[in-house]
Amino acid sequence: MTNSDSNAPAELHSPLHDRHEALGAKLGDFGGWLMPIEYGGTVAEHTAVREAVGVFDVSHLGKASVVGPGAADFLNSVLTNDLGRIGPGQAQYTLLCNEAGGVVDDLIAYLNGPDDVFLIPNASNTAQVVDIVRSVAPSDITITNLHRDYAVLAVQGPNSAAVLTALNLPTELEYMSFATSQFVGAEVIVCRTGYTGEHGYELVIPAEHGVALWDALMVSGAAFGIVPCGLGARDTLRTEMGYPLHGQDLSVEISPVQARAGWAVGWSKPAFHGRDALTAEKAAGPRRSIVGLLGLERGIPRQHMNVLDNAGAVIGEVTSGTFSPTLKQGIALALINADAGITIGSEVVVDVRGRLGRYVVTTPPFVDANPR
Amino acid sequence: MSGSIPTELRYTAEHEWVQVTADGRIRFGITDHAQDALGDIVYVTLPALGATITAGEPCGEVESTKSVSDIYSPLSGTVVARNDAVETSPETINSDPYGAGWLVEIEADVALVDELLTAAAYESTISV
Repeated sequence: MTNSDSNAPAELHSPLHDRHEALGAKLGDFGGWLMPIEYGGTVAEHTAVREAVGVFDVSHLGKASVVGPGAADFLNSVLTNDLGRIGPGQAQYTLLCNEAGGVVDDLIAYLNGPDDVFLIPNASNTAQVVDIVRSVAPSDITITNLHRDYAVLAVQGPNSAAVLTALNLPTELEYMSFATSQFVGAEVIVCRTGYTGEHGYELVIPAEHGVALWDALMVSGAAFGIVPCGLGARDTLRTEMGYPLHGQDLSVEISPVQARAGWAVGWSKPAFHGRDALTAEKAAGPRRSIVGLLGLERGIPRQHMNVLDNAGAVIGEVTSGTFSPTLKQGIALALINADAGITIGSEVVVDVRGRLGRYVVTTPPFVDANPR
Repeated sequence: MSGSIPTELRYTAEHEWVQVTADGRIRFGITDHAQDALGDIVYVTLPALGATITAGEPCGEVESTKSVSDIYSPLSGTVVARNDAVETSPETINSDPYGAGWLVEIEADVALVDELLTAAAYESTISV
């Protein structure tokens, strides 16, 4: 009956920690940060985001600035995606790979201008991302780790625009575009993005103003059914969309070619970290690929469970698995060997603690959603 | 965090509660502390009617969105009733763990119930 996934106590607290304690949140370690897992229950929080609106504290996410002459061009020679595809005021999902093509981290790059890019890496990878980028940067480009300087709140769900409008925050933004606005005298960055598959926004505000923004969202959101949501619901929501989680579905061992994240690679760019290895892997075809698995019977697949073919041979492994609150069914992302001959629509078996459950191979998302 | 622990029930260190019913059967379920620790329960697997279960051994599973936990038999005996309603509405275990969220009834040696933990003794095992 206990959570066994963390040993060392989480050291870092979000700027909103007192609010989470006051709401009775269950807290857990996320990349060294003690963050909310759930408040009232993961299923209700998940449903609120699909049907109304939820607010997540994701202040554990990293923040770093890359500033100096040609900062964007420099980053474009390091990160996989092509910053040339976007302009100032737009954000982009991108990857930092190593020379072997493994994924050190996935992150969002906010392009302020040719000399100024803001990065949002994963909590546990931020220091490494900053170190790597800094190690290859020209001397006139400055990389600053701002991990604890900002609060980040995600407002997600069909009513998210209404909640922000009530606070006079900008909402008429294209998907993956951002605008800078003012909130109680502080600068807040509002970006049309998210990790849930619903229409939503991520708000970045100086840490000392995080509580005021949270409180205002809760007050203005009450009329629209806003619910504080923990990272448990964030995980079930992103898994229903098939969005990868770094460290599970994308990692130093799982390349973007294997993870079907090739769309986040600027293949025609002359340089980025991992280019040679990834280009070769793409040409040869990956030896394994991430697919979706939809349960045909009871049972919940979990990370590291074996995937078997109908003859009982191990052909892969679950990388993320959960109960889909929307479908009321077990769903998973799994890494399947290419030589197993599995195609979309094939039936496979997952060994759920010795019970063999049938799953159909799909291409995520598992549910219809409307992130744009 | 959890509600009060009913004093009329007995308990195990594995977070099951145990009650002797009016007709002399032994009913058990999981405690409020256990359901709270698990979070939203989405699947329940109960032993079959007529099955023989053994004290301290797993006889089923409760699974939540985030984790899975064995149900341990509090006593040895034969399954004479199962709460099929919690298989179709497992959230009942979250909302009413000591009432409508009961799991199994067995026929067993009722005298052994007195050897299980009292509410006070159980509370001391879960207080930090």
